Parts: sequence; C-alpha cells; structure tokens
Amino acid sequence: MLDAKAAPLVQVDGLKMYFPIYSGILRRHTGNVKAVDGVSFDIQAGETLGLVGESGCGKSTVGRALLRLYEPTAGAVIIDGENIASLAPEALRKKRPTMQMVFQDPQASLNPRMTLAAIISEPLVEHTSWNAERRLERVYELMDAVGLNRRFANRFPHEFSGGQRQRIGIARALALNPKFIVCDEPIAALDVSIQAQVVNLLEDLQEKLGLTYLFISHDLSMVRHIADRVAVMYLGRIAELSPRDALFERPLHPYAEALLSAVNEPDPSLARRPRIILKGDVPSPARPPKGCNFSTRCPKAFARCHAEKPELQEVEPGRQVACFLYDAKPGSTGTTEAPANLRQEHNQQGEYQ
Amino acid sequence: MLTFTLRRLLLAIPTLLVISLVIFLLVDLAPGSPMSEIPLTVPPEVRKKMIEALGADQPVMVRYVLWLRQFFWVEPATLIDGWFGTNWAGGEQRILSWQSRAPVFTVIGQRIPQTLTVIGTAYLVGILIALPIGIYSAYRQYSLFDQLGTLFAMIGFSVPTFFSGTLIIIIFAVTLGWFPTKYDTNLSVTDWPSFVKQLQQMAMPVMTLGLANAAVISRYMRSSMLDNMGMDYVRTARAKGLTERVVVLKHVLRNSMIPVVTVIALGIPSIFGGAIITENLFGVNGIGAALIGAIHASDLPMVQTLAFIFAVLIVTFNLIADVLYGLLDPRIRYD
Amino acid sequence: MKLKTALLGAACALTFAPAAFAERGTDGEVKFTFPQAVSIMNPFLSSGTKDVYAASLVLEPLAGFDADGNIIPKLVTEIPTIENGGISADLTTITWKLLPDLKWSDGSPVTADDAVFTAAYCMDPAGGCAQLSKFDGVAKVEAVDASTVKVTFSGPKPNPYTAFVGALSPLLQKAQFTPCLGAAAPTCTDPNNMPIGTGPFKVTGFTVNDTVTLAMNDQYRDPAKPAFASAVIKGGGDAEGSARAVMETGEFDYAWNTQIPPDSQASMTAAGKGEFVVAFGTLVERIEMNMTDPDPALPEGERSTAKHPHPVLSDIKVRTALSKAIDRQILSDVGYGAGGKPTCNVVPAPDAWASDNTGCIAQDMEGAKKLLDEAGWVPGADGIREKDGKKLHILYQSTVNPIRQDFQALVKDWWTELGVDVELKAIDPSVFFGGDAGSPDTFQKFYADVEMYANNSDGTDPETYLSQYQCVNAPSPDNQWQGENMNRYCDPAYDAKVKVLSGTVDVAERQKIAKELNDMVTKDSMTVIPLVHRGTLSAHSNTLGGVQINAWDSEMWNVADWFRVK
Ligand SMILES: Nc1ncnc2c1ncn2[C@@H]1O[C@H](COP(=O)(O)OP(=O)(O)O)[C@@H](O)[C@H]1O
Ligand SMILES: [Mg+2]
Repeated sequence: MLDAKAAPLVQVDGLKMYFPIYSGILRRHTGNVKAVDGVSFDIQAGETLGLVGESGCGKSTVGRALLRLYEPTAGAVIIDGENIASLAPEALRKKRPTMQMVFQDPQASLNPRMTLAAIISEPLVEHTSWNAERRLERVYELMDAVGLNRRFANRFPHEFSGGQRQRIGIARALALNPKFIVCDEPIAALDVSIQAQVVNLLEDLQEKLGLTYLFISHDLSMVRHIADRVAVMYLGRIAELSPRDALFERPLHPYAEALLSAVNEPDPSLARRPRIILKGDVPSPARPPKGCNFSTRCPKAFARCHAEKPELQEVEPGRQVACFLYDAKPGSTGTTEAPANLRQEHNQQGEYQ
Repeated sequence: MLTFTLRRLLLAIPTLLVISLVIFLLVDLAPGSPMSEIPLTVPPEVRKKMIEALGADQPVMVRYVLWLRQFFWVEPATLIDGWFGTNWAGGEQRILSWQSRAPVFTVIGQRIPQTLTVIGTAYLVGILIALPIGIYSAYRQYSLFDQLGTLFAMIGFSVPTFFSGTLIIIIFAVTLGWFPTKYDTNLSVTDWPSFVKQLQQMAMPVMTLGLANAAVISRYMRSSMLDNMGMDYVRTARAKGLTERVVVLKHVLRNSMIPVVTVIALGIPSIFGGAIITENLFGVNGIGAALIGAIHASDLPMVQTLAFIFAVLIVTFNLIADVLYGLLDPRIRYD
Repeated sequence: MKLKTALLGAACALTFAPAAFAERGTDGEVKFTFPQAVSIMNPFLSSGTKDVYAASLVLEPLAGFDADGNIIPKLVTEIPTIENGGISADLTTITWKLLPDLKWSDGSPVTADDAVFTAAYCMDPAGGCAQLSKFDGVAKVEAVDASTVKVTFSGPKPNPYTAFVGALSPLLQKAQFTPCLGAAAPTCTDPNNMPIGTGPFKVTGFTVNDTVTLAMNDQYRDPAKPAFASAVIKGGGDAEGSARAVMETGEFDYAWNTQIPPDSQASMTAAGKGEFVVAFGTLVERIEMNMTDPDPALPEGERSTAKHPHPVLSDIKVRTALSKAIDRQILSDVGYGAGGKPTCNVVPAPDAWASDNTGCIAQDMEGAKKLLDEAGWVPGADGIREKDGKKLHILYQSTVNPIRQDFQALVKDWWTELGVDVELKAIDPSVFFGGDAGSPDTFQKFYADVEMYANNSDGTDPETYLSQYQCVNAPSPDNQWQGENMNRYCDPAYDAKVKVLSGTVDVAERQKIAKELNDMVTKDSMTVIPLVHRGTLSAHSNTLGGVQINAWDSEMWNVADWFRVK
C-alpha cells in the first residue's frame, strides 16, 4: 500500500446517485430514487473489476456516475488522481479522454446521422489539433484494431450488424487512448455467437493497451471469464466485493450466494450447488428497507438486519462483505445467538461443496 | 428515392381524382344555395333566371365533368396561352366564381401573394420563435423557463385567433395606435417608408398567427428534443468530452429536427390555405378570406377549386415530408 | 361647420376667382370600408348591396331618390310627369331627356343608345340580370333622338319610375358592354369590374372581394365636384372591425353596415372620432303566422298548404293575443339600439306611405290572456293552455343569428307567460333563404307555426311588396314552393284592393290604398306581426362632411358633394 505503483487508478468513495421524484400538479419534490446509495471500491491499474447484480440494481448508474455522465448526489470518484465528481465543467471535459464508456446498446449509443468515420474522429477534433488526414489515419488505425474493414468508414451505424456496431463503439472509446473504460453490459444486446468475439477483443485490447475495465454485466459466467475481482450489487449498494475465484468458490454474502447458485457450473465434474430461490420482490429504490437493503428477502436475516445498514468491510484478506453475519464487533442492538448459528450454517454450506 | 417519388406521384393521381369527386359532392350536398344571398326583393322568376345563367341548375354530374375539364384542360391551356400567346384554350369558359363572375384562378392569383407574405411570415416567425423555446425548454426541463414556455404554448393552443387577434387590435391599434387594423392590399413596397408601412400592417396578423404556430411547433420541438436527450448516443457525445453546445446543437438538435422538419413541411399547405379567421379579421385579402367569403355566398366553383387545390397541396407536402425524412434520416431508405 | 365651410368657400372664391365655389379634387382621398367586400361593380349581375353601393360611385341612373325618398333627376333635365308631358296620359310611356353635353368618364358622349342598350342587356333572357324586375312590363326602349329615351310599357304603368331609376338600375356604356350581352355577361370580367360610368369617380383598380380604388372623373358634369381626388373601398372583416376603423382608429372615413350590439355602439361613439348614422328604409323584422297546418302527420305535399287551415292560428284571437304579449320596444333596444325602432307596419316608411298604426307598441299581457280565455284556451294543470284536450303548442322558427336567437328567447318568455308551449328552432340562413324545394327548412315551405325574418319593400313605392300577400303567391307544391306569400294569407278583398292600387295613378290615392293594404295584413288580421323597423347603421368620421344618409338609394347617392372637414 505504501508503494506508489500500487495506488489504485480508480477510487470510489461513498458514491450516491439519487434521482429526484416530482409529483403533483406543482411538481413538488416528494422523494428520491436511490439508484446508488453509498458505494465504495477501488480498481487497480490494468485490472478488470466485474460489477454484477440483477437488472435495476443500479449498475449502469454507478458506471455513468463514475464518468460523471450523471451528476452524483454525493461521494468522490478519483480517477488517475483527480476527483471526477467535483471537477469544474471545463476541467472535466479535458479529463474525459482518460475515461470512456462502451454502452450496452451499440445502436442507440451511436448517433444515427453520423458516419462511422465522423463518430470515431469527433473526439479527435475536440481534443487534438490534428488535421483531417491525421485524424483519418487514426480512424483507420482504430478500425484495424477492432477488426473493422476500412471500406466501411463512410457508412452509417444502421448499416452494420450488432457486433460490428459494438466494435465501432469500442473503437470510438479507444480513440483518445483512455486509461479506464466502463463497459456497461457491452455484450448483452449481442448474439451469443458474437459475444465471445467481443469479449476476446476487449481482453486483447486490455493486454495491448494496458486498459483498466469496470465490466458491468448480469451474465455471471462472462464476468467469471473476464474479471479479476467482482462486486455484487443489490438495490444500490455493494453486497460483496471479492476476488473472482474466491467469490465463485465460496460466496460470503447471502445475496451473492443466492445469485451464484443460479449459475451453471462450467465444470460438470463438480457437483452443483443447490439452487437458492429468493422469495419476494426487490423493493423499490425509492423506498428501500430501513435496515440492510437485502433484509426483506434474506433467508438469514435477524433482528439487527432490519434495524441497521451494514457497511462494506473486509472480513477476510481481499474480501469485503456488507453483512452483519460477519460483523466481529458487537452490534449496538446487542449480540444474540443468531450470528453464531448462521455462521455455522454458512460454513456447513461451504463444506457441502 | 426517385422511383419511390415517381410511384407515389402516380398513385396520387387516382387518389386526387376520387378526392375531387368527393369534395364536389360534399360541397354540392352542403346546405345552402347561392339563392340565399339574393335579397328577398328580387322576385322568384328573376332568381330562377339568375341561377340558370350561373349554370347552377345543371345536374351535379354534368357540373362535375365540366369542372374537371375546366380545371385540367381549360385552365392550364389558358395559362400556357398567357405565356406564349398560343391559343390552346380556344376561348373556352374558365372556372368562374358565382359570386364575382371573375375566373376563380384570377382571384386565387390575386390573393396568393398576400397569403404567402402574411401567413408565410407568420409561419416563419412562429418557427423562429418556437425552435429556441422548444430547445431550451427541453434542455432545462421543468425549469422556470420551461414552465413559462409551457404556459405560452397553452395560451397559443387554446386561445382562438379571433380572440387573441381582437385583443391585439385593441392593444396595438386602438390604444397605442401603432398599426392599422385593415391591411392595405394596394400598398406596393418601393422605398423605405413604404417598407415600414408594410411591416406595420403585417405586424398584427403575424403576431396573432405567429403565436398560434409557435405554440404548436415549440411543443413538437421540445418533445422531440426530450426524446433524444435521454438517448445513449448523447451520453456517448458527452463522454467524448464535447462541449455542451456541441452536444446539444449538433447531436441532439440535429436528430430532433427530423420529426420537426416533417411537421413543419406538413404545415405548409395550411399557409396556402391561409388563415380564415385571421385574414378576415385584419382584412388581409388572402386565400382564407376568399374561402370563407365563398362559403358564405355558396360560391360552389370557388369553394370546390380551393378545396381541391388544398387537397393537392396536402398530398404534395406529405410526399415532400416523406422525402425529407428520407434525406435527413440515413436509417430510412425507400426502395 | 356650415359656417366654416361657407367661409372657406368664400376664401376660395376670393383666391381663385372666378373659379367655382369649391374645386374638384382638392380634398385628397375618401376611404370607405365595407364588412363585405365588393365582388363586382355591375349591379345588373349582383344583388348584393355592397356591390350596388360601390358601383353607385361610378354608374348613375337617369334619376335617383333623395334622403326623403323623393325622386330627383340625375342624368336628365327633369323628372317626367303627366303634367310636363313626360308620361303619356294612358300611362304606357315615359320619356326621359338627357342632360346636354353629358360624357362618359372616357370622354365619349352619353346618348339615348346607351339606355336602349342597357335595357336590352338586362332584359336578355340568357343574361341572368339581377335587376330584371326593374324592367317589369317594359315592352320597348327606344332612342327618339340622341338625347331622348322613350320607354314603352305593355300596359298602363302607374309607377313608371323603375327602369333607369335608383342605384339598382344605372346606365351602362354601350361601347363597353356590347360584347357582354346575354350568356357572355358573366364572362366579361373587365367591364364588370371596371365599368365606365358618368358618376363622380372612375375605377382605377379592382381586386375581387377586397379593394376598389377610384379616381375622380374628370368628365363629371359638375366641374367643381367631386372634392375628393380619389376614393378607396376596402372590404372584408366584420361589422365590428369596420366600425372600429372609423370610430376608434380613424383609419377610414365611412363604414357602411356597421350593425353592432347597442353597447358597442355606445362605447365606440365615446371615442369621439365619428358618428353613427341610420338609414331607415322599409326593412321590418317580423313574425309571420302560418295560416295553414304544418302538421308533420299530414301527407307530404299537403303540409302547410291551403288544403288544411291552421288548427290554432286560424283563430284571430290567438294571433292577436300572441302579438299583444310582445314588448317590441325591448326587442328593438336589445337587438338594434340606435339601428331600430318598434313598428306595427309592414310598410313602415316613407312617412307618406306608412300607416299611423301604433296600437301594438304597448305590451298588453292581461289583454292577451283575456283573448285566449275567450278563444277557449284555458290554462291546464301545468300552466299550458289547452282546448278540447289539445295543448297550445307553437313551433317558432328563424335563422341562426345571435339577435334572432335573443328575440326568440324573449318572445318565448312572453308567450310562455301567456300559457303557450313554445318550441324554438334556428335554421342556417343559407338553407332557410336558400329556396331549395327539396329542403323542409326553407322559409317558403314554412313547416312551422310561426317564423321570423326580415323583409323590405324595394324602393319607396310598396305596390310590388304588398302584392306579395295575394292568394296566388302562396308557396305550394304547384309552384315548386316559390312565392312570397309565406303566410298563405288569402283574402279576396285584399286581392281586389291590390288590383285597384295597380290601376291608380294619383300618388295620394296610392298612398291611401297602400296604408289600407298594410293594415289588412297587420292590425286587421294579425297575419303578420311586425316587430322592429330596422335601419342600416353606418358610421362616418367627423372629418367627413356632406354625408346625408339615404335609405331609398345608394348611401353614397350624393358622394359628389362630400368633402373633408378642415
Ligand atoms: N435517469 C433516471 N431517472 C430516474 N430513475 C432512474 C434513472 N436512471 C435509472 N433510474 C433508476 O435507478 C435504478 C437503477 O437503474 P440502472 O442503474 O439503470 O440499473 P441496472 O443498470 O442495474 O439495470 C432503477 O430503479 C431505475 O429505474
Ligand atoms: Mg443497465
């Protein structure tokens, strides 16, 4: 930690993103959608952090707030030494080349009235003083890098297939040599046969260019393939953040456990974990439960879970969990026997494997 | 695109023929007759003779076929004769107004300029006001400006022009005395003072109509902007580190303009149609005033011809709107 | 003002001696505004007052009428009479002598041939002449010499002042209209829009249904007139806007037909820029009683025909009661303000022709109730009168028009008070007056018990007008529902008196008979219930002098004498 090289490229601290709700004839501010409600994590340079969770849990919002495509309600996002969340607009604009995003829907993320060349070279116009020739050169370079035929430079996005469009999206993101890229479900809209190609492309590029990814997905197997560490989100908060292998081997948070139980084990020799079916619906982010956000559905919830919100804390080396089951310190509501029991039960589950 | 246009044009011909017949029958079946304009002091036999002289006593189908011939043969031929001194029309009777006995197309020709200058300017002014309001309202959705814009649009939508027009007359003509209440058709702009006069007499009708037009278009602009503002490609543009100006004006606006341009194009026939109430109120002798006058007088040839010309314009501008859409939006191809 | 003019005139006379009192074309432009725009400048092809009045600035008849309805010479040396030999003793010819040296505005001389031509033009059966009735009974029009026109009638014509008299029957220039005879009349766009005339102005520009521009006629017979060098008539808009342009903004000098609600009249007058003037002609808003049965149960073709007398209204007591219950003063005030006055006559003017019948003006509700009681109509449990088990129900129709709907509501109130069940109906005017024999809603079909509209006599002599109430003029299937006797009033005594009138020459005697006829259809039989004598409200600027409102001819009959008040 003292080593300067080890300083993370991205540091997120207490990030909150609330969307105000207005209602009534006078459009009074009557509440907030707490899409992201206090999220903290780091990403090391060259690392890929996977962000998983059910749809609607706030993954995209995290990604967008991180790049300040939304104005975060609270928190700090330090990327490459600067707090993105509080940069002045002009400074932010200058900073943008460092951080880019690849969107889920490649069709919607490309301006339908611009040609491929115009789309890719637009940031170059804005951020470099290159002439048209030099820019075109760069466009070709990028097209080569993502595997697009140069002949297509003057075509419009709608003339391409989904996979090709996502390549355009990636080429565009790469145009200004970013360090950090948020990939927001980059393959979710693609045919399965093409998904692997795009993921491989992303991996190759990471290797070649030393990129750092926040890889958002609800496809756990894909995350398992690409991520170094994985954060599991539930209702605007991170439930668990662990190294990939550790997480997939032995999820600590009850939600992570439930989520992973639904994944098909790629190795048939290993016995399948019993599937845990969660009861009830995800609460609305406008009215999250009082205690732990997962308390309404958690099979192991106990009194404290309904009263306080657990913070994310390191419970094992490199593993952070937000769950009172792993709370060493005595809680304010007093200890009961429940935690011990549950921990035991949890261990049993580990043994069961 | 070319084949598409040609195919549509060909399709338009039978459509318009059917429309012309329907209009003719509708106009003919509409209650009222040119008789109702004749004072009661004129004895019935004289009335009957007058109606006969107009040809109004002929069966409807005879009149329709005659009208068709006049519209599609005599009138174009007369026009060509006028240009080249030929004699295609051979002195055949043109479509005559029952009310004024003047050729309907002469009347239309006299009136188009006023309609285009006044109503056209009002449309232009409306667009020029509407676009910035719509853009900024959407960009700052729910801001005070947006609320005021909404209020403005509500007023423009809901207040009928005869009311807003009368109000404008009372404020600007009666109280302030800035503008004349009656449009002077004979004013020809030759120098600066006459140009100022022209502006003065256009001011009130343009205000009245501009308000109404701006209300409609600003709403379209706003909602189209809002549709696009939330799109991923806008986020992409922001992520590219473009300035807000470029993001809004280049990316959002350009895409938002596609439906708005279509709406604007579709509204153009209504310029030619004039504004019945406004023209009448301010004494602008445009097409709208001609139409309402003709309807009041049951001047069937005039009403029929104008209605049919509007039908042609509407069909034409629908086609133009479609073609424009194709030109503006690369995703659309008609082949 | 008069003094000022006189002084001014004197000053002019001093300065420009020996020039005339005033000088032609010194007062700039006079601006007219009409709520309905001018469509055509040929009164023979249009019956619209707007067109006739506009044309009157240019085209002139041989003789016209002054503000009191007296006939005055225009293009002739004197009015022909029996005394001066202008009218033959047997009443079959009238001979007009044209003024010497009379010129058309193009400089060519006016001759008797022009009059002969004009008659031929209007009487051509294919021409659709709107003023054909002015030439009723004319057998022949001939030029005795270049300046003498002789009109021969097919029989004795007690009122021969029809052809070539008044704004509706002016002189056309033969040279200009020769190609426009008969079927060619409507297609003659240029002559129809820019006729050459003898009046104080000539047309310089014409935009259909919009503007007429005129310049003074250099050939006008009085070298000192007109005072205005040019004139413009802008049409279109509505009565309110026209009135405003004169009374409030002062953009125009004269607005014809500015009938606006009484309260607007007051507020516009308060602006102090002009004044309203009213021309009381013969227009009377009236309720006509249907003397025949409009019962829908009757077979088509028999409804509202003489075959079935009206079951209720045939009783004069009922008709009288209905008339007595009405307060005409209130109707007039509410509907027309200065533009109306209550009347009991169908011929309300000129004074010499109008009966002194005022008995209906005061409302008499009690008297009306008594009459109905006498007639056997007694109030039932619901307040509605009934007789022999039949309710007293009246269907009251009129045209869609805000004032008429006010009238209907007021009259309904009064009649309801009387114990009559009144049903109102308003019909689109273009249908009501449209005369379509296929429509059940025309005023001729009269498929209602009473109907309300306005009608007037053309000119000062009401003979034609009164003859409408003869039995033969009742609309019926036999005459395709044409005819002006809407009431189906039929009294042989009346028909006989009409015949007497048409044979009477002496004006005083004619007036006496006309009054008797008027009384027969109004107070004696209560067939027609006149309500309001309606005038035409016009407005003129305070800076316009010489206006003398005239209901018997064009309102601009003396426009040559108009001047700018300085
Ligand atoms: N612009 C917005 N305004 C209001 N609510 C939003 C907005 N964007 C997202 N949300 C809400 O925030 C929550 C999280 O959304 P999102 O981040 O898109 O979820 P995910 O990407 O995990 O599917 C959802 O409940 C969504 O409805
Ligand atoms: Mg998402």
